[in-house]
Amino acid sequence: MPIEVINLSHSYKIGTPFEHKVLHNISLSIKDSQFVGIIGPTRSGKTTLAQHFNALHIPKQGKILIDNEDTADKKTDLVKLRHRVGYVFQNPDYQLFAPTVGEDIAFGPSHQKLPRTEIDKLVQESMHQVGLDFDTFRNRDIFALSGGQKRRAAIAGVLACRPKVLVLDDITAGLDPRGREEILNVIKDLHQNQKITILFISNSMDEVALLAERIIVIDQGMIKMDDLTRNVFARTEELRSIGLELPEATVALENLRSAGFHLPNGILSVDEAIEAIAAALREKGAHN
Amino acid sequence: MELTKNITLGVYLPGETIIHRLDPRTKIIAATILIVMLLLSRSYIAYAAVAFFIAMIIVISAIPMGYALRGLKPMLPVLLLMWIFQLFLFRDSDTLVLFNWWIFEATEAGLHMGNLIILRVLFLFTVTTLLTLTTSVVSLTDGLENLLNPLRKVGVPSQELVMTLVIALRFVMILAEELEKIIKAQMARGVAFDQGNFIQKTKKIFPVFLPLFVSAFKRAEELIIAMESRSYTGGKGRTKMKTLHMSRVDLTAAITILIFTGLMIYINIATEPFI
Repeated sequence: MPIEVINLSHSYKIGTPFEHKVLHNISLSIKDSQFVGIIGPTRSGKTTLAQHFNALHIPKQGKILIDNEDTADKKTDLVKLRHRVGYVFQNPDYQLFAPTVGEDIAFGPSHQKLPRTEIDKLVQESMHQVGLDFDTFRNRDIFALSGGQKRRAAIAGVLACRPKVLVLDDITAGLDPRGREEILNVIKDLHQNQKITILFISNSMDEVALLAERIIVIDQGMIKMDDLTRNVFARTEELRSIGLELPEATVALENLRSAGFHLPNGILSVDEAIEAIAAALREKGAHN
Repeated sequence: MELTKNITLGVYLPGETIIHRLDPRTKIIAATILIVMLLLSRSYIAYAAVAFFIAMIIVISAIPMGYALRGLKPMLPVLLLMWIFQLFLFRDSDTLVLFNWWIFEATEAGLHMGNLIILRVLFLFTVTTLLTLTTSVVSLTDGLENLLNPLRKVGVPSQELVMTLVIALRFVMILAEELEKIIKAQMARGVAFDQGNFIQKTKKIFPVFLPLFVSAFKRAEELIIAMESRSYTGGKGRTKMKTLHMSRVDLTAAITILIFTGLMIYINIATEPFI
């Protein structure tokens, strides 16, 4: 299910003194099963762009084609489209509203007019996918969940609609390291095993570097970079001038390099860094 | 999906006009007088005078007319419903019957009563909106506190009341933003808010309120903790960074309001009330 964005612009509060433009002439295309990271400083327009992907915003200028369907076209069935492009919000509290976990996850499929047994199956499957035990959590009160469990329930609620594309809007924000890792593993699994296209908005460069194959950098409503992850993080100076950081491992190796060590460019993860440093040390040892 | 676009009550539109520069106390008193005049008026000419006066304020304060009146848009369906109720249900012994429909009877008195109520609500809302559009939250608080201060002597917790009012005003916008997010989250999972008939649409609104209330309570609690952690203990002993000063502009405004008040009283005495 390819996504095509053509010359998209977007303004908020049109016709009021507070009107402001947040997206300028955005064009991009996303192929099936890609894992795309979307990064940019706060208020750069990431969320606004992302909410165009599942027609929460309908373009007034420019066009969006989801699976060759124009979201601005009156004939497009937006409800079906929103089921195919799942959107997980930054704050799970906005998304969870049924009294129990099971009922909340069933909310999406019950709007597809599916038979009860089918809905139950979907709920069970999606809970399994995010690692929430069906029997334990099905009747659990939403408010009794921890932050990480809430996120997982929110993701399950979206997965129950069987999306082909998943838009994740900064879903690891405010989680403890363990909750964060659990969520990231769920996402990795969805991408690798279900071949779901993932659009991953994040403020954590480490997460994006670890997961995404391609990165789109947005600043002030414009696309500043759109390239393979490695190439994007090689443009260190540009990223810093936008106000973005680099993955920790990249920074560490950069510092070591400037201290005189011979280390390669373009290291993104801690594992890669360890290997590179070990190799450099071995080389040094051989010299001596 | 932009709910906040139509909310103008509690929004401050910064500006440098005479109206913006007026002492908040002047504006609050002027708004109060206007509201009292509105509630006492019972003739169409009087309402025309009020409309003219409000229009003048909008023009002087350089607020786009469309924006100043934008907040009325979401209220129109409710007002229409009120108008219909008045038209058919208001009874007066010696009034002209306009027409009959089934068991209902539309009277001339009902028609005027409906008009009266709509005019009052519209103008009340516009006056209040104009006050917040041209006055920042800080000066609004200062002005209100200052005006209500004498009441402290008789035991009215004026500063606390004002604080509550200001927080409530701020929350209008915050809650609208939250509501928008919640609606979006439900749309994302297949709720079509714009589809179906009136009853179906109304039903879809209910699941929206649960998360809204939850987040409102949560926010209120966070706010309390934030205020307490900064040692807020009510108004006692608080001092102001900015002291209020009346200037010549305020005198001009006061005279204008007085002339207007006199005019309104004259109009109301001289013209035939329609109800």
